[in-house]
Amino acid sequence: MISTIYIEEQIYDHPRTRMICKRFPRAAQVLCRRYGEVFNPGAQDFRLQKRRPSLILARKHARRVLPTPIGYGIGGSNNHYFSHMLNCLYDCRYCFLQGMYRSAHYVLFVNYEEFCADMDERLSQADGEPVWFYSGYDCDSLALEPVSSFLGHFLPWFAVRPHAHLELRTKSTQIRRLLQAEPLPNLVVAFSFTPEEMHLELEHKVPDNERRLAAMQHLQAAGWPLGLRFDPLLYHPDFRNRYRRLFRWLFSRLDATRLHSVSLGTLRLPHDYFRKIVRLYPDEPLFAGSFSCRNGMVSYPAGVESELVDFCTEELLQYVPESLLFPCSRAA
Amino acid sequence: MIHLVVALPAEARALIRHFRLRDKCSATAFPVYRNERMALIVSGPGKVSAAAATASLQATSDAVRHAAWLNIGIAGHATQTIGTGLGVYRITDRSTKQNWYPPQVLGFPAPAENLVTVDQPGEAYLDNTLQDMEASGFYPIACRYVTGELVQCFKVVSDNREQTAAGINAQLCEQLIAAQLGTIEALAGEMQELVHEYATWHAPHPELEQITGQWHFTVSQRHQLAELLRRWKTLLPQQPPRLDGFEQQTRAVEILRHLEHYLDHYAGRRA
Repeated sequence: MISTIYIEEQIYDHPRTRMICKRFPRAAQVLCRRYGEVFNPGAQDFRLQKRRPSLILARKHARRVLPTPIGYGIGGSNNHYFSHMLNCLYDCRYCFLQGMYRSAHYVLFVNYEEFCADMDERLSQADGEPVWFYSGYDCDSLALEPVSSFLGHFLPWFAVRPHAHLELRTKSTQIRRLLQAEPLPNLVVAFSFTPEEMHLELEHKVPDNERRLAAMQHLQAAGWPLGLRFDPLLYHPDFRNRYRRLFRWLFSRLDATRLHSVSLGTLRLPHDYFRKIVRLYPDEPLFAGSFSCRNGMVSYPAGVESELVDFCTEELLQYVPESLLFPCSRAA
Repeated sequence: MIHLVVALPAEARALIRHFRLRDKCSATAFPVYRNERMALIVSGPGKVSAAAATASLQATSDAVRHAAWLNIGIAGHATQTIGTGLGVYRITDRSTKQNWYPPQVLGFPAPAENLVTVDQPGEAYLDNTLQDMEASGFYPIACRYVTGELVQCFKVVSDNREQTAAGINAQLCEQLIAAQLGTIEALAGEMQELVHEYATWHAPHPELEQITGQWHFTVSQRHQLAELLRRWKTLLPQQPPRLDGFEQQTRAVEILRHLEHYLDHYAGRRA
C-alpha cells in the first residue's frame, strides 16, 4: 500500500499522474522539483525503505532508450532497453537493483509518449531491420500494471509496428490486460523462475511458482509468445536435483514447441553493487557462500559457475532446441 | 538510542520531565540531558544553532554507533489548529531553496505536512506548510551520522493566521509539547525499535575484538577478518570460530586463510 506519493512539479497535472493519484486517495502527495531530490540522496538505506516504499511520479528527461549491455539479448542484433519504472514491488535478495540504487522507492516515469517517440527514432535508424526493446531491466515489467497502465499504452504502439519487438520480463501474475488483447507476434512475455526452495528463501513478496506457471499457461493458451528466464542460476549443493525438478515441472505444463526463447545466466553482480548489497544484508546466507571477483564482476568461483551453466544447459536441451536457448554472458 | 534536538528550554522541559532525563553535560556549549536510552540537547533558536547542537550531541555520544534523531519543537502553520502535532514530509530552507525529504518508513503516529525553515520569526505564513527555524539545520547534519530513515521531525502548531506568534510564551510552549507527549513517546518507541533492528543487522561478530586482541592484524587484515566473521555468523550462528589450534605467534594471514578455507568448504557442502 502506497502511503506517500512524491510528484515532480512539472508533471503534477499530467493525466497519467492524476489517474494514478486517484488510485491512492489516502496517500499524501508531496511535490518535488526533480525525482532525484528524493531518490538520490546519500543518506538512505534500501533495506529500511523496502519496509514501506513510496511512489515517485516523474518525467524521464533524457536517455530514455539505451543500448543493452553486451551479451544481453534473445537472438536480435539491434537491442535496446528502456525503463518506465525504477525499482520493483518484489524483494528478491539477489537483485542487482539493491546495489544500484540508494532508494527503494518506486519511480514511475509517466511520459510514455516520449519513450515511444524515442523508440520510433531507433526504428527509423534501423531501416526496416527488427529492433528489440527490453522493458524489464530496472523493474518488473508487469508487477505495477494496475497502477501504471503501461501495457494500455505500449500494446497498441507495438501492435502497429511489426519490426519493433518487445520483451516483457516479469515475476508477476498481472496478465489481465494481455488476456484482454489480441496476442502480438512481436511481444514476448518472459517469466523468471528459480527452484521452489530458492524462491521461498530469496524471492520475497513474489507470487509463488505455481501461480506464475498458471499465468503462463493462460497466456500460452491465448496465443502469446512466451519466454522462460533462469537468470540468475543459483548455486546450492543440491542444485542438480532442484533445477532438474524445476525444468521437469515447467515443461510438463507448458508446450515447449511454442516457446519463444529460454535464457539463463549465473548470479553475477558488479563488485560495487555486491559490496553494497552485502552491507545491506550482512545476515543473508546467500552472500555468506563462496564468491570470486573477475573483471569487476562478482560471481561464483569459475568451476562452480561452469558446473551450474553446463548442467542447466544440458537439462534444458532435453526440452528445447539449441536455437531457442540463449546464455547471458557475464557482461550482461 | 534516540537523540532529541529541541530549540527552547521551554520545549525541552516537558520532555525532560516525561522521559526522566538528567543533566549530564552542563559544562558544554549546549545543555544535554540523558537517560540510558535517550539524549536531549537544547540548541537555542535558529538553523545554525540546530546544526551545531546536532553535531555537538553526536560528538559527546561517540560510544553510540547507531542512534535515531528526532527534532521536536513548535512551528507556525497558516491554517492548522493550535496544538496539532505533525510529522514532516519535506523540509525546505527558505533562504537557500534547498529541499530534504525524510523517508517515510515509520507508521507515523500523526499526520504530516511540508515544512519551511525560515531565518526570522514572523515571516508570512505559506499555505499548508509548517514554518520553523531549525529543521533545515538539523536534518542534513543528522544525516551525516545515520541514514535518513532514522532522522525525523515532529512539530506542534503554536501559531496560525488567527493566533499569531506574538502570543507565544514559555508556558504555552511547554504546554503544547506536553500535550503531545503520547504521540512523541509512540514515535520515539517506533524509532527505537527500528534503530535496534538496524544495529543488530550491522553488529560485528562478538569475537572480533577478542581475536584482534589476541593476534596482530593490520587495518586491512582486520577488515578481512570482519568480513569472514560476518560469513561465519551467518553460516554457523551457534558455533564460535574455530581457532583453538593456533598459537600466540601465528601470523594473521594464516588465521584469515584458515577461516576462509573452512567457510568455503562449509558453504560448498551445506545442504
